[in-house]
Amino acid sequence: MNLADFLSLFSLPFMQRAALGGVLLGILGGILGSFLILRRLSLFGDTVGHSAMLGVVLAALLELPSTWTLIGFTVAFGLGVIYLIDRTDLGSDTVLCISLSGSIALGTIGFSYLKGYRGNLLSILFGDILAISNTDLILLLLLLGVTLAWLIISLPEQILLTLNSDLALVKGVPVRSHRYFFIVLLAITIALTIRAVGILLVNGFLVIPAASARLICQQFVPFLATAAGIGALSGVMGMVISGAINLPSGPSIVLVQLFGFLAVALWCRQG
Amino acid sequence: MPQKLSIPQFVVTVNNLSVMRGEYLAVDNVSFKLLPGTHTAIIGPNGAGKSTLIKTILGLVQAHSGEIKLFNASKPFKKLKQEIGYIPQKFSFERTFPLTVSELVGLGLNHQQWWYSSKRKKEIIDRALEQVHLTKQAKQKIGTLSGGELKRILLAYCLVVPRRLLVLDEALAGVDATGEMEFAALLNNLKQEHNWTILEVSHDLDLVSKYCDSVICLNRRLLYQGSPSTTLTSENLLHIYGSLVSPTCHHHEPSRLPESF
Repeated sequence: MNLADFLSLFSLPFMQRAALGGVLLGILGGILGSFLILRRLSLFGDTVGHSAMLGVVLAALLELPSTWTLIGFTVAFGLGVIYLIDRTDLGSDTVLCISLSGSIALGTIGFSYLKGYRGNLLSILFGDILAISNTDLILLLLLLGVTLAWLIISLPEQILLTLNSDLALVKGVPVRSHRYFFIVLLAITIALTIRAVGILLVNGFLVIPAASARLICQQFVPFLATAAGIGALSGVMGMVISGAINLPSGPSIVLVQLFGFLAVALWCRQG
Repeated sequence: MPQKLSIPQFVVTVNNLSVMRGEYLAVDNVSFKLLPGTHTAIIGPNGAGKSTLIKTILGLVQAHSGEIKLFNASKPFKKLKQEIGYIPQKFSFERTFPLTVSELVGLGLNHQQWWYSSKRKKEIIDRALEQVHLTKQAKQKIGTLSGGELKRILLAYCLVVPRRLLVLDEALAGVDATGEMEFAALLNNLKQEHNWTILEVSHDLDLVSKYCDSVICLNRRLLYQGSPSTTLTSENLLHIYGSLVSPTCHHHEPSRLPESF
């Protein structure tokens, strides 16, 4: 592909939407993923991501709009899982494993009841960032706005409860409300990311940029900014690479994140 | 003319407090009061309910029955919390947590202070770090600190806001003997300077004897209460611990601050 072809490809509206979507998802994933890994909830993102299969099957069975059903389902599922973790004496990994298995079992059974063409449902495994619509972009922008506002208002409280929840409680921080609101933001982000990169890669968007930033940052705010920056840059670079050599877009973005992480890890080892 | 009697304003008043941990009665009908500016230690064997008692006072654990009153105030508990400093027993985090010493101390700032200019916030944080003699560590990542330094940083976290009550839950657990002495001496100096009331769980009877004004001996029930000299007798210790040997009894050098102090 020569430069003219490449530029004409990015002049297409669907490619522009996909690139912008990749950047927005990268920023959101970087910010929320930072808290996700520090709160040791990496497996939570994976569990909610995989449970989305049940959400998609439910939307198809009940003939409901897929985006809104997926958002509603992931939020309800995420809150339900956190509630179970809070209310049982089992370890969080055990509860997450039970929830993951249960949702996939139900999703698979539900899938077998679907009639007609089921190829669209299989696409949820790998997603399609090129199919990002204007509505998706508006939702992503709104979500990013709410996330940034949430951070501006409560950043010290978020850091404190991430570091030590008892210190936060004694200070009067509404720890439970903050935790549940974070789960809501995370679940909506996961739902929107799944449409772009699929169930199998969604956790990469959340974990890899934050993990890279964690290796190089000493302070919290630069850590958040670096994670968001890596997420956004990976979005752009992944789209450019996928456009230039005709590779699937979602996996290209995740591969850029992965190579970025490996480079940072090697650099830190040498340093 | 009858003279008016001055009623002491207690910092903490605990009346007939009982706390359940599951089916287990962890604290049984405990009552005591703390006067302003006093340093009180809660001692007792493992499983005596010391941490549970402290956590109930802080609102981290629900009381089964009884009453806790802070500062004799009618303000909501949430507002009163701003006046309480807390240093937990366990302060574990991953060593790579991206937070510097200054940032951790800054987390102690209250809502109003958070909107101060960066310069003003830095001044408050620097002043707190100066008071715990850790100015040089300001830009260090918290994961690189020793146990003793970390506890001093938590003291600095408490110092950025005026506090009336400081609660320490075995704050010196995991700190070496030198670190313990340094911390105890520093705490005592700061207590005098800020007129703090201190309530702490401790296993170190030497330090309790040296720095505390009163001792609460707990084994689910309140066994003894009074000054260290009258409470920490061999007879009482035998009753509390079932042995004459104290759980942690270091023989510290006479109180002498390190050169950096």
